[in-house]
Amino acid sequence: MSTASTPAGPPVPIRVVLVDDHRMFRTGVRAELTEAMSAGAPVCEFVGEAPDVDAAVAVIRREAPDVVLLDVHLPGGSGHGGADVIKGCAGVETADGKPVRFLALSVSDAAEDVIAVIRAGARGYVTKTITARDLVTAIRRVADGDAVFSPRLAGFVLDAFGAAAGEIAEVDEELDRLSAREREVMRLIARGYQYKEVAKELFISVKTVETHVSSVLRKLQLSSRHELTAWAMGRRLV
Amino acid sequence: MPTPYETAATRVRPVAGAGADPALPPRRPPLVRARAAGWTPGVCDAVARHLGVSRRLVQVAFVVLAFSGGAGVAAYLFLWAMTAEDEVAPQTAGSLRWSERRRSALVLLGGGLIVVVGLVLLVPGLGVTVRGSVILPVFVIAVGAVVAWSTLDEAQRSRWLTGGAGGRAWVRVTLGAGLALVGILVLITRGRSVSVVWDAMLAALSVLVGALILAAPWAVRLWSDFRREQVAAVRATERADIAAHLHDSVLQTLALIQRQSADPQAVTRLARAQERELRTWLYAGPQGSQASLAAAVTEVAHEVEDLHGVPVDLVVTGDRPFEQHGAALSRAMREALLNAVRHGAAPVTAYVEIGPAGVEAFVRDRGAGFDLDAVPGDRLGVRQSILGRLERHGGSARVRRREDGTEVELRLPPIEGDPV
Repeated sequence: MSTASTPAGPPVPIRVVLVDDHRMFRTGVRAELTEAMSAGAPVCEFVGEAPDVDAAVAVIRREAPDVVLLDVHLPGGSGHGGADVIKGCAGVETADGKPVRFLALSVSDAAEDVIAVIRAGARGYVTKTITARDLVTAIRRVADGDAVFSPRLAGFVLDAFGAAAGEIAEVDEELDRLSAREREVMRLIARGYQYKEVAKELFISVKTVETHVSSVLRKLQLSSRHELTAWAMGRRLV
Repeated sequence: MPTPYETAATRVRPVAGAGADPALPPRRPPLVRARAAGWTPGVCDAVARHLGVSRRLVQVAFVVLAFSGGAGVAAYLFLWAMTAEDEVAPQTAGSLRWSERRRSALVLLGGGLIVVVGLVLLVPGLGVTVRGSVILPVFVIAVGAVVAWSTLDEAQRSRWLTGGAGGRAWVRVTLGAGLALVGILVLITRGRSVSVVWDAMLAALSVLVGALILAAPWAVRLWSDFRREQVAAVRATERADIAAHLHDSVLQTLALIQRQSADPQAVTRLARAQERELRTWLYAGPQGSQASLAAAVTEVAHEVEDLHGVPVDLVVTGDRPFEQHGAALSRAMREALLNAVRHGAAPVTAYVEIGPAGVEAFVRDRGAGFDLDAVPGDRLGVRQSILGRLERHGGSARVRRREDGTEVELRLPPIEGDPV
C-alpha cells in the first residue's frame, strides 16, 4: 500500500549490504526481498553480507553500498555490535558521493539498543518482524536520506522526550523536546499510520512528514536529554 | 495468562536446581571504587563489596580504627589513593594475571609506606604527638591482614572459608595472622610489664562490655539491615534461576513448533507467545504487576493475540496506577481489539498514550471497516461494551471508518486530583 505511493525508484537499483550474525536470517531476508521485488523492477541489489563487525566494516569499505541493513547485536569489534560497524565505516561514501546509510534491524525493543544504533548514526530502526514489502519501502526511504521509524520507536521517542507527558518545544530548534508538529507525527506513526496516511491526516505532504521524522531523528541523535544520555552513557557511546 | 505450552508446570517446579553450579565459587568482586558513589570517594563501598559484608560494618570499622591511633584515617587515605576507579568491567579485573597482582601489591606496599612516613612527619608539626610506636604496630597489623587476605587466590579463599584448606594457603594465612598478632602485642605492651598490661586489658574489657550494652539496639538494627541485604541477594539468585527455566521453555516451544510444522497458524501462535514471554522477561523484568494501567492493557492485547492468533502491535507510552476507570478502558480496549481481529485484517495496531491530560487509546485494523449505524441495535458489542462503558466512566469513544480499515479511539480524563 505504501510502496505504490512513493515516487518511482531510481533507475539504478539500491546497493544493499546485509549484516547479521545469523546465516538463516540473512538467507531469509534475501529470499523474502527478492520475492517481494519479483513483480516489478528490482529496487535493490545485494552486493554483500557479513556475519560480524570486522567483516562488515571490510565489506562496506570495499563495496561502498547505498544502504546497510544492520543487526544491532553482532560479535566482534569493541563489543557494541552495530554501533561499532557504523563508527568503523565513518566517512565511507558511495560512488556518487552520498554517505553510506544504515538501517538497523533488530529483534530487540530494548530502549538502549535503539538508542545505541541511532546515536551512532543509523537512519532508522525496524524490528525483524517487518514485512518484506515494508522493508523494501524502508530501504528506499533510507537510501533517499530519510528516516524510518517503526511504531515502537515512535512510542519510545514520545516517552523519552516527555512528549507523551505534555512537554513541547516552543522553538523547533530545541534539541531536548519535540515540537507540537513532530509530536503529532510521532503519535500517528505510533498508531500504525504509514507516512502517506500521516500526511493525509495532518493535511501536509509526504515530504513534510519525512522532514519532520528526519528532524526527530536528528534530535534523537544530538539531544542531551537525560533519559537518552543515561542509556547512552551506560553503553559508553558519548 | 496461560500459554500454549505448560510454562506453569516448569515455574512451579521446586527450586531443586537452585544450587546447580556448586562447582563455581562465587566470584569476589575486585577491590575497585565505583565511579558514582556519591560525594565520598567510595572506599567503604568498595571494601564492603570486595569482602561481601555490609557497607555500614566497614564504615564502623574505619571509624573505630580512626580512634585507635589514627590508623583508620591512614588506611582510608591509603585505600583511596591506591584503589582504582571502576574503569573496566568488573569481571575482567578479576582475571588479572599473577605477576600483575604481585606488582600491584608491591606498589600498594610502597605507597602505604610513603603515606605512613608522611603522616609521621606531618603530625608532630601540627602539635599532636603520635609516636612511631603507635603507628608502626598498626601498620604491621594492616600489612599482615592484607597479605593474608590478598595472596589467597579466589578459589583457595573460598575453599578456606568452607573448611578444607590447602597447605600453602595455611602457610600464608598463618604468616599474615602471626604478623597481625605481633603487631597487636607490641601495641599493647610497649615496654611495660606484663601485670600492667593485664590490668589495662581488664579495664579495656569492662569498657568494651559497657559499650556493647549501649550499642545493642543499634547493633540489632544493623543486623536487620544485613538480613534485608541478604534477602535481596537471594532474590537475585531466584531471578537467575527463572531465567534458566526460560531457556527450558524456549526449547520446549521449539520442539512443539517442529511437531506442528504443518499447521502454520499454530506455529505462528506458539512463536508469538514465546517471543512475548521472553520479551517480557528480558525487558520488563518480573515487576510487571497488574497495578499499572500499562501492564493491564498489555495483558489485554496479549490475551486477544492468544485467542485468535492474530498479532497485535501494541505501543504504550507513559503509565498510571490501575483503578476502576482504567479497568473500564482496558475492557473496552479488549472489545475493540477483538472486533479488530475478528472483522478486520492484519496488521492490527494499538497505541495507548497515558499522560497528565488523560488516557488515549487507538485500535486500528486494516479490514473493510464497518458502519456503526448499520449495526443492528440488538448487537451490544460496540455500543455497550465500548461506547457505553467509557461514557459511564467519564470518557468517550469514537469509531472512525477509514478507507482501509477502522480505528476505534478511546479517551479517559485524568485521575481526579491529578495535576493536569
